[in-house]
Amino acid sequence: MRHTRTGRRLAQIVVLGVALAVWWIASSELPPKVMPSPIETFGALGGYLVTPLFWTTIAETVGTFLLALAICGVVGVTIGLAIGSSPIANQSTRFLFDFLRTIPPIAILPLVLLLFGPTPRMVLVVVVLGAIWPILIQSIYAARQGEPLLREMSRSFRMPRRWYILHIFLPGSMPFVMTGLRVGTTICLLLTITGELLGGAPGIGYQIENAQNYLDTPRMYAYVLVSALLGLLVNAVFWLIQRRVLRWHSSQRREEY
Amino acid sequence: MRTRRSEWLTVVALEAWLPVVLVVAWWFGSASSTSVYFPPLSSILGSFAHDWLNSAGLASNLLPSLELLGLGFGVALASGVVMGTVLGLTPALERASRPLLEILRAIPGVALLPIFIVLFGIDQEMKVLLIAFGSFWPILLNTVDGVRGVEPLLFEVAEVFRFGRIRRLLSVVFPGASPQIFAGARTALSISLIILVVSETVGGNGGIGYFLLAAQRNFAISSMWGAIVALGILGYLLNIAFRLIERVILRWHRLQQTRLGSEK
Repeated sequence: MRHTRTGRRLAQIVVLGVALAVWWIASSELPPKVMPSPIETFGALGGYLVTPLFWTTIAETVGTFLLALAICGVVGVTIGLAIGSSPIANQSTRFLFDFLRTIPPIAILPLVLLLFGPTPRMVLVVVVLGAIWPILIQSIYAARQGEPLLREMSRSFRMPRRWYILHIFLPGSMPFVMTGLRVGTTICLLLTITGELLGGAPGIGYQIENAQNYLDTPRMYAYVLVSALLGLLVNAVFWLIQRRVLRWHSSQRREEY
Repeated sequence: MRTRRSEWLTVVALEAWLPVVLVVAWWFGSASSTSVYFPPLSSILGSFAHDWLNSAGLASNLLPSLELLGLGFGVALASGVVMGTVLGLTPALERASRPLLEILRAIPGVALLPIFIVLFGIDQEMKVLLIAFGSFWPILLNTVDGVRGVEPLLFEVAEVFRFGRIRRLLSVVFPGASPQIFAGARTALSISLIILVVSETVGGNGGIGYFLLAAQRNFAISSMWGAIVALGILGYLLNIAFRLIERVILRWHRLQQTRLGSEK
């Protein structure tokens, strides 16, 4: 029974049910207004689903997130692959990128906030400056991961450079680039919501912060739940894209996280 | 010996020239800057020395942060490894709790700040708990994967030699899972640094986050830049310390493995 598919589903539902029950009991034991019950939270969330404000909030967050991811992806992968193909460029930038990577992106938030105010552009700058490093550094690695035999073969057959880049270099570095993009995607979403929450720019983060100021705990919990669901959705979409892009690659089935 | 030294010098020169050029360019480029937001590097470094390079500055700005970070990260590491080992050794439990763990993990740590403030107030305990919660997940999930990835043959060997539970944990499970646990801990460390800074912006216990926010509110732009420099250096040093610890512990692990291998 335990090993059948339905048995496993059943066990998972039981665990989720127990978690909800714990939440419920905790919310009723605590003083009112401190923790809403699951029913209050889901009720509030259901109410928001029909308001335009909810959807513009989601659109703000998702819009900033996607734009930041696109910028990080294009800039990070291009520069990373270019630097990675040159040993001198790679060595010259190693310390620099290693240092910049470890600065917590939140450090520049006060500065960017003074420059741009509580706007989506402010969030965008913070997110790009924070999330580009894993993509860039992983792309630098990626440029050196191609099969040397294939490189030598295309050289001895005097294949045109364009052909080499398209058919040997890019496919060879793709698995590592995808790893960097996956880490970057998670960081992008995290920083988007963080920037909105701390900087007061419109979006999910702002709703959470604003709800706290009014002690509107059901709204607070509802939007935290929404941010978690958004994270799950983004992860799922990324897996689908990665499956398509790397269909040919065996590494696909083994993953470190 | 001499060629080795000259090789080493070449590597250092290659890695250092660009950062040096950039700092020099920043110094001269900003020397006559009148922009409020981009003060001359000389005044940034002056603020940095004043705020961070003396015992009073370190005691009020750095020590509270290090204490929070150590406690929060320590709690996450201990609980993540323990729970990850339990889940990794009981696959049925792990499968059953997977959806719940995925949902909890997907919550951005910083988004929980308002909830934690309402639940626990704005004291140190709240900040420790928030840092621990945010950095718990990568450690937990990597420990689960690491434990499940331990060579099954080693478990059989332990069975044959009738290893006790504790001995099995110490000489089979942890050594086998430690590379993966370290990978998770490294991710957790950078997450905990972000949550640390964010959590210190509430309440008034000092620390880097508090200092950064105060500098912004007082429009002390050079101090703000100095704090950014300090955070960069802190992040870099923590990373180096982590790498050193990892190298020492995983070297032991490698030795242990070769010994096991030769006994076999």
